[in-house]
Amino acid sequence: MAEGEALGLIAVGAGLAVGLTGLGAGIAEGNVGAAAVGAITEDASLFGKAMIFMVLPETIVIFGLVISILAIFVM
Amino acid sequence: MFKRSVRKGNYAYTVTRVKAKKSHLLKEEDYDKMIQMSVPEISRYISEAGYQKEMTDLAGKFSGIALVEHATYQNMANVFKSILGASQGELAIMVAAYLEKWDIWNLKVILRGKSYGVDASGIKEDLVPAGKVDEASLDKLISLDSVDDVLNEYSKVGKVTFPADVISEYKETGNAGVIEDFLDKFHYQRLLDSISPYTQPTKIFLDYIRKEIDVVNLRTIMKLKGEGIYGEQVMKYYIPGGMQIDSKFAQVLANAETVAAASGDMSRLEVYEDYIKPVMDSDNVTNKAVVTSIKKYQEDQAKKMAHMYPLSVLPVIDFMVHKETEVRNIRIVARGVDGGLSRETIKGLLVI
Repeated sequence: MAEGEALGLIAVGAGLAVGLTGLGAGIAEGNVGAAAVGAITEDASLFGKAMIFMVLPETIVIFGLVISILAIFVM
Repeated sequence: MFKRSVRKGNYAYTVTRVKAKKSHLLKEEDYDKMIQMSVPEISRYISEAGYQKEMTDLAGKFSGIALVEHATYQNMANVFKSILGASQGELAIMVAAYLEKWDIWNLKVILRGKSYGVDASGIKEDLVPAGKVDEASLDKLISLDSVDDVLNEYSKVGKVTFPADVISEYKETGNAGVIEDFLDKFHYQRLLDSISPYTQPTKIFLDYIRKEIDVVNLRTIMKLKGEGIYGEQVMKYYIPGGMQIDSKFAQVLANAETVAAASGDMSRLEVYEDYIKPVMDSDNVTNKAVVTSIKKYQEDQAKKMAHMYPLSVLPVIDFMVHKETEVRNIRIVARGVDGGLSRETIKGLLVI
């Protein structure tokens, strides 16, 4: 029973790690994306740089994903 | 008029666009080069600096100094309209309220045009459609015959109620100046009302506008002193709502007969130490130099606030202040060169 509870809590933790980082990345990308579109509207040559900035907040989700994988397979 | 929505503004998008536009503004070295050019060379130079479309559009209609003047105003109007179009929510409300001064400018041009019997195309050439009132409404205002009709129509379009005493004074004297004075006061009152000081950036914006009112009042007092006007006569142009210059202090400044006599009282103002005093201490004090220096203070205030909160209305207002200054500077250079002024004199008139 205790083992089952622990497994359940690990699953909840893994879910929270991916879910909350996804939420954080979404909020960050909202602003970065709006700014990127603004920059491209003024100067289309900025597309490449804007794209890189757009992708940066997604690293937050990868951190969350790593934590959740560690939680499920290592713990 | 402006309180249609209380949605949060799209700051990231609008501020990025504004910052990109700001990076293309002319710098001090550009003015140094332009001062040494002729008017056609200035036209070509500004064409390459972002005024190409307007210069090409208007080249068939105007030439020389008139082309530079009309193209720069048209460009400013287009830029401001694009900012207004891009902004949303509370940001759009504040930008629209700030740009209402151009609606009032246009109404003044129309009123003056009607008073002096200028034809419709002549009036239209001098308009700067940078505000909330669209060009179709401006065309309708121009097409009306009398000043009364224009005021009636504008009160609907601009949601302004002209007080009965202002209208009756205008009818008695035939002087549209009373309406213009009312509009200036009305604009600042509505602008102050449109800013909700619930966040730090909007508080700073409100303070900036109150400082701008101080600057406008101080410039009016200085200019009138230059014309030999002082005392009670000055007070009818006083705009309430300033930060440091209340009506009592304005009265004190207005009562001084010359700029030098007002110097002691002006030392209480924030603008005095770094902007007015150096001009007053210089060998050749002119009212124009004092007024230019006060304008520089206003621009520096905008610059200072722009970096405080990147995702707010502040960088947008800072850009609009700088764009307006750029247009004014280009016109000063072009007129100065055309009028044969010395390079030093032209440079002294610029706000950089």
